[in-house]
Amino acid sequence: MNYNWSFAPIFENWQVLAIGAVGTLRLFVICLVIGMGLGLVVALGRRAEARPLRWLSRAFVEVFRNTPVLVQILWFYYALPILAPVEIGPFTAAILGISLNSAAYSAEIFRGGIQSIEPGQWEAARAIAMTPAQVMRRVILPQAVRRIVPALTNRGVEIFKMSTLASVVAYVELLNQGKLIASIYFNPLEVYTIIAALFFLLLYPIVRLTYALERRLARSDA
Amino acid sequence: MYEWDFGPVLAESGVLLAGFRNTLELTATALAGGLVVGLLLALARLSPRRRLRWPAGVVIEVFRTTPPLVQLFWFYFGLPIVVSVEMTPFLAAALTFTIQSGAFFAEILRAGIVSIERGQWEAASAIGMRPHQTMRRVILPQAVKRMFPSMMERSIELMKTTTLVATVSYADLLFQANELAQKTFRPLEVFTLVALVYFVAITCLSGLGSLLERRFARSGEFAA
Repeated sequence: MNYNWSFAPIFENWQVLAIGAVGTLRLFVICLVIGMGLGLVVALGRRAEARPLRWLSRAFVEVFRNTPVLVQILWFYYALPILAPVEIGPFTAAILGISLNSAAYSAEIFRGGIQSIEPGQWEAARAIAMTPAQVMRRVILPQAVRRIVPALTNRGVEIFKMSTLASVVAYVELLNQGKLIASIYFNPLEVYTIIAALFFLLLYPIVRLTYALERRLARSDA
Repeated sequence: MYEWDFGPVLAESGVLLAGFRNTLELTATALAGGLVVGLLLALARLSPRRRLRWPAGVVIEVFRTTPPLVQLFWFYFGLPIVVSVEMTPFLAAALTFTIQSGAFFAEILRAGIVSIERGQWEAASAIGMRPHQTMRRVILPQAVKRMFPSMMERSIELMKTTTLVATVSYADLLFQANELAQKTFRPLEVFTLVALVYFVAITCLSGLGSLLERRFARSGEFAA
């Protein structure tokens, strides 16, 4: 039990972790944008007039929600290049896996938000001659998005946590860089404690914020 | 055009089957442990004693806001340095996922317990029940029923999260798939098949969940 914790080697190699942090942030931002954007598209696809479009969106959501994201990343990394003549690096594989997975989840959030808006608003907007696309953009979405901000923020936190999975295909992010330091200085305890602490310090304020948003929303809806 | 050939993969399906069994074993262990830990954490968090409430809150928040893969590495590589235990991949994974899913279950249970009307506490105490009796006989049964859909969802998340153990060489379905892909040089078929196995398993589980939900809904007292 008398282990001497020594964080010095980690602080001396802070640049290694900094490079990892940049990698994590880069992956996070890209996956966040694609995940949310595509999620909205898929949610609209589920409400489309054309049946094949509806069916396709539904299949997309089911497939990506009902399989583990790590399996998706490895599939894109090892299996996709056999099917398509494309070069898939760790970065691309991680982006594909995490973005598509998040798109499926956020599509369900958007769908729930859109459904929660009263049908009367559709009718009213149609009555003043807005086209369906205009109703969606000007009336429904602004209100729906306001209601689902906490759920979407939660998704963002999940995406940030998921970015660590990219280390499995050796993409340079925080956890991968931590592994590197641990393998040189034999200090996994300190390294993984620091990395867990970094994630916690970064994400916890955001988590608190979603709690506050949820409370505020619950009050304003009541 | 690539020619799919599942032959060599199916010939070795025993390897995948063994992996799937290990996945189920780990999921079941972590689920059983997680429910117990979750209940204890939820009760501690609602306790009037600050000394119980505060540590429970810390455990719940830390395990909910740090990435599960970092937790797994911490338990597998880090913990044996401070505590003299022989750490196996299964033990590390069971510990990590028990506590992690426990933290999530705790929040679900807490929300369920809080959602039961105060009047029921008062009524139970009026007929002479002590607080822990009220909790066990009146509040918890209703809270668990109300929270069943969320708990089902969490359990499915847990099953998906167990794939992370492949990174510490526990022979779960994903790990076995990786081995088989290297052995047969058929990664496309292997990973597609494995994705399919997970898809079917998880779809069945959530189907079972909604079936039970409807059952509960018929027997009344159910919040959507």
